[in-house]
Amino acid sequence: MAKNLSGDLQVASANRLSDGVVVWLDDAGGWTDRLDRAAIARDGRGADILLARAQAEASSVIDPFLVAVSEGHDGTVEPLSLRERIRASGLTFDAIAADAVRYA
Amino acid sequence: MPDTHFHRPQHFYKYDDYDRTLVAERVEQFRDQVRRRLAGELTEEQFKPLRLTNGLYLQLHAYMLRIAIPYGTLSARQLRQLADISRKYDRGYGHFTTRQNLQLNWIKLEDAPDALAALAEVDMHALQTSGNCIRNVTADHFAGAAADEIEDPRIWAEIVRQWSTLHPEFTFLPRKFKIAITGSPNDRAAVRVHDIGLRLWRNAEGEVGFEVIVGGGLGRTPMIGKTLREFLPKKDLLAYLEATLRVYNRYGRRDNLYKARIKILVHEVGVEKMRADVEAEFAATRDGLLGLSDETIEAIARQFAPPDLPARPDRVGAVERLKLEDRDFALWLKSNVAPHRASGYAIVTASLKPAGAPPGDASAVQMEGLADIAESFSQAELRVSHEQNIVLPHVAVEDLPAVYRALGQLGFAEANVGKITDIIACPGLDYCALANARSIPVAQRISRHFASLARQHDIGDLKIKISGCINACGHHHVGHIGILGVDKNGVELYQISLGGDVDFGNTALGTILGPAVTADRVVEAVDSLVATYLDLRAAGERFVETFRRIGAEPFKDRMYAAL
Repeated sequence: MAKNLSGDLQVASANRLSDGVVVWLDDAGGWTDRLDRAAIARDGRGADILLARAQAEASSVIDPFLVAVSEGHDGTVEPLSLRERIRASGLTFDAIAADAVRYA
Repeated sequence: MPDTHFHRPQHFYKYDDYDRTLVAERVEQFRDQVRRRLAGELTEEQFKPLRLTNGLYLQLHAYMLRIAIPYGTLSARQLRQLADISRKYDRGYGHFTTRQNLQLNWIKLEDAPDALAALAEVDMHALQTSGNCIRNVTADHFAGAAADEIEDPRIWAEIVRQWSTLHPEFTFLPRKFKIAITGSPNDRAAVRVHDIGLRLWRNAEGEVGFEVIVGGGLGRTPMIGKTLREFLPKKDLLAYLEATLRVYNRYGRRDNLYKARIKILVHEVGVEKMRADVEAEFAATRDGLLGLSDETIEAIARQFAPPDLPARPDRVGAVERLKLEDRDFALWLKSNVAPHRASGYAIVTASLKPAGAPPGDASAVQMEGLADIAESFSQAELRVSHEQNIVLPHVAVEDLPAVYRALGQLGFAEANVGKITDIIACPGLDYCALANARSIPVAQRISRHFASLARQHDIGDLKIKISGCINACGHHHVGHIGILGVDKNGVELYQISLGGDVDFGNTALGTILGPAVTADRVVEAVDSLVATYLDLRAAGERFVETFRRIGAEPFKDRMYAAL
């Protein structure tokens, strides 16, 4: 199956209230910091339901929203936008470490 | 605010009981607010303005704490505490910003009150680093040390800080408000691109007062500030600022976020009308409580008395020898060491821009190292520059080799201050919730490409400033080469401008060259601009001067031909 880039696939994301960490809603209605465990809505109606579920489970997160994703033939999920890819994967450069004397 | 408010015993900006109580109460209030938020007693809508008031933002990956460093002045003890806070409550590094602040990018909400309490231990806070209030006042980072200084701007920055902290009338302005102060003819505080810029100067009668500049700013609608008052007696500073803020508070637009800054008001009504309104307000209030007595000014000035600098030699054999033996040291003396007002001393800028590093970032170990160096060699004093470097303001000339070596051990002895790799960059899309494109990786690529110090010094003074969105935290409008990241249909593109400048008398906004370039061509584009300059410069001409002489076309033609 070719990579689905239609933008129909969506996951629900938010930042965790206690520490701001990026999380996604999973199938069990919990929030996970692993994108590969996120529940995926596959059409518009599914997206509406997913967002409603996310908002209902929002006590431990901040402002849930939908993120368009692609799904590879091996099931790998990746956000379509660069902003969401960075949210999912972290900084695109190596931050300096606490004990670093020099930037490597 | 009564005049007596300024008579508090201070050193530096060490708090008295009034300050200490105020900040301690705010920390405990915030602790309770965080507890209530985590317990579900407050919604995010209710809580957000409370956390922002305490400098806590939510960025892409985490909360970010923006810590105010008043006019960029830090003691070694404070920097050591910042290192400790970054290690305990963050990931052990921090980002020094273009507003002389420090941002910690990975703070947990549950830890934020403890981090603020730790800041309060060293007389610091994060108040007024967000919201539509008067933000942390910025000043010349060479203040109190520069050879060209007329008067120390920190005295006035401190007076403004005390007046503006939790000022009840100006807590909900139409938009945020930034004030910068310089006490030197060579403006190192970018006063023409602030909401209010204050420039100390001496008039024909020999009196020192302020030129008051209003309505400058970068962002979506960049503007160069206009002179509101040519010469303001120093004693009238607060009354005049209050009058200006009052006029802005009354007439500034609140219907449109993008038209709410004072620069838009000044632009729409004209500086003459603005001046008339401010002068009318000033006339009504100038003899009131805000008039500054000589005694008040002197009391503050005493806190910023020059440090006791014992006589030291101006010319030191060991320095001269090392200059001949070590080419990098010689270059460092040229670019990173500035004249001090006291004979036998110098001002050293530690470059937080080693080749390939994220501009302005320092690890906890590096911050502690800088604090050690300041204690050993610079009266335990440091400054944060708006160009995201750290300044050691009082270094004896004979200590320069030791300071160079010590900074080298931290990776902060790069001889590149004012050169092409001394890049200003905002955090960009790697961190920032507002950004459209990344800034830091672009800065890193340019920095690596031009890493050769010999080449940098051949190119000479050239300031690259990079912003990841139109809000212009990276000051791209006033970069000799400005780079603005934009998002076009999900692709990062970079718009390049030339000829921006913040030097007093030459302040200018850059000219956009043409269509934006893709991320992978930015380095080639900059390389082409530099090559054009090297080919066409006249003897002794800096990059921006060549641009002013020949205009954008030669640069533009060759850059787009090269891409």
